Amino acid sequence: MKKFIFLILNSLAYTMYALSFSLNAQQITEDTQADIALQQETFNWSTLKKTWEDDIQFHGFFSQGLFHSTGNNVYGKSKDSVSADLTEIGLNMSYQALNNLSFAAQGLYRRAGASTGDAGEVTLDFAFADITFLSFSQGRLGVRGGRIKNPWGFYNETRDVASTHPTIFLPLIYFERSRALLIAIDGGQLYADYSSPIGDFLFTFNYGYSHDNKELLLAITSDPDVSGKLDSDPGFMTQLHYEIMGGQYAFAISYADLNSSYTSSKSFDPYTGLESNIDSLMLSAQYNGEKFSLVGEYNIQWNSFSFPQAGADFSPVSEYWYIQASYRFLDNLQMTIRYDSSSQDKSDRSGKNFHAATGLPAHLMYTQDAVIGLRWDITPSWMLRAEYQRVHGASTVSLLDNPDLSKLVKDWNIYALQVSFRF
Amino acid sequence: MLYIALSFCMLPSVQAVEVIMNASDSKELIKENMDLRSIFSMRTRYWANNEKIRVFVLPDNHILHKNFVKQKLHMFPHQLRRTWDRMTYTGTGQPPITVDSVAEMLEKIKHTKYSIGYIDRRIEDEKIYFFDTQ
Repeated sequence: MKKFIFLILNSLAYTMYALSFSLNAQQITEDTQADIALQQETFNWSTLKKTWEDDIQFHGFFSQGLFHSTGNNVYGKSKDSVSADLTEIGLNMSYQALNNLSFAAQGLYRRAGASTGDAGEVTLDFAFADITFLSFSQGRLGVRGGRIKNPWGFYNETRDVASTHPTIFLPLIYFERSRALLIAIDGGQLYADYSSPIGDFLFTFNYGYSHDNKELLLAITSDPDVSGKLDSDPGFMTQLHYEIMGGQYAFAISYADLNSSYTSSKSFDPYTGLESNIDSLMLSAQYNGEKFSLVGEYNIQWNSFSFPQAGADFSPVSEYWYIQASYRFLDNLQMTIRYDSSSQDKSDRSGKNFHAATGLPAHLMYTQDAVIGLRWDITPSWMLRAEYQRVHGASTVSLLDNPDLSKLVKDWNIYALQVSFRF
Repeated sequence: MLYIALSFCMLPSVQAVEVIMNASDSKELIKENMDLRSIFSMRTRYWANNEKIRVFVLPDNHILHKNFVKQKLHMFPHQLRRTWDRMTYTGTGQPPITVDSVAEMLEKIKHTKYSIGYIDRRIEDEKIYFFDTQ
């Protein structure tokens, strides 16, 4: 952790600060002259601080979860025990170098059960340069290059920032197992904002490579001993986001086309040549009033998995949706309820065919759950929340936290607590 | 201290909210179709002279912030927070700078060129320009 903060602060902060200082030298002189009478004593500090604050910003977040469950594990060994294996820490910096040029980067430390191991993982969450080539009073058009977060539904881009989503667990539509596939893309983004009298539009188109994905590979093969890697081929994710009345109503349509192919690490690997192609469409709608909020999202996903060694092809169509209502009793106290539904294969919703073909539990093919949660924003920075989930099905559990697939339980409970800090 | 004392006197009745700007060049800065919601949502990011708009706000739970957002932007603080968080934690934009008190807000606006913010009363100060006097 220390090493990580040291790295971020030293390498990025130092170069950006140096850059900022030279680029803003002229402005400092002007400001100083204007305010010289007032600021004579504090001149150095106040002017430097002003430049720093204005053009370079640091932000971050921290969260820690506590889980207890019956039946299956979530985030570590929570089953009939208590697990504290979800920690998220992020630190970012953004630098507006010129009116049409900016840079941003975020480091993420994440510990999330067996998928990251006990020590957790440090990743570069995003890091890109942003060039606006057209800017007018109603909007702008530009490109970003580097590692960019994927706009996908309402919550994907900030899925690791606890305070930005209403419950501890994201809706099942944000499938924890597909996290690496969805989280960010290494490549480029074209973006366009437009504010019109009938609402605000935001269009994004991301093209590039997703991250290597161990959880997805396990889910496709249902084989804990699979040894190779699932590497991304170029793909795209795109979203049109529309909101009216300052965000009181928001709508989004998102589409993704993501392909991966298997790289084997040994000879005679039964999965050599494995390919995964995923096309996915998400529709999102939200009402966000003073006290009451209502969110619904629907996702349909066309999968195609081919196993040339076994001479088999599978093309299941998955379907996920949820509806979520929140009520603010006070400005800082909010209750949320949600119903989630997910089906791995629309033509085999009960998992009967899957069970007959593989002998594995049928409930690996579906999940429905009901969630109730209470969120208390103690201050604008500190948040505390508690949640209960009744779960029917096991299609969304981590297969790394629950390696024995035959022991997965169909009906189970999750109790969770989380504290978070943001700045 | 005076500001703090004053703001306490005015609670909790319906508070006045005055949108203020740094007075230097203020008349050249405002374009006809600029609206406050767009400025405070960080969608309009530059003044008419292409200088970056320096936006200052009070914390989300400050009574004046709540009143400002409702009265002047016709929004709720949590809607604005959603917009700011999205840009902050994806690196696609910078949120406004948060100050802790009305007194600090006034100091920042007086001493920061191209700035905009809000206070809870009208005052006589040559370094302050009231946004609605255009």
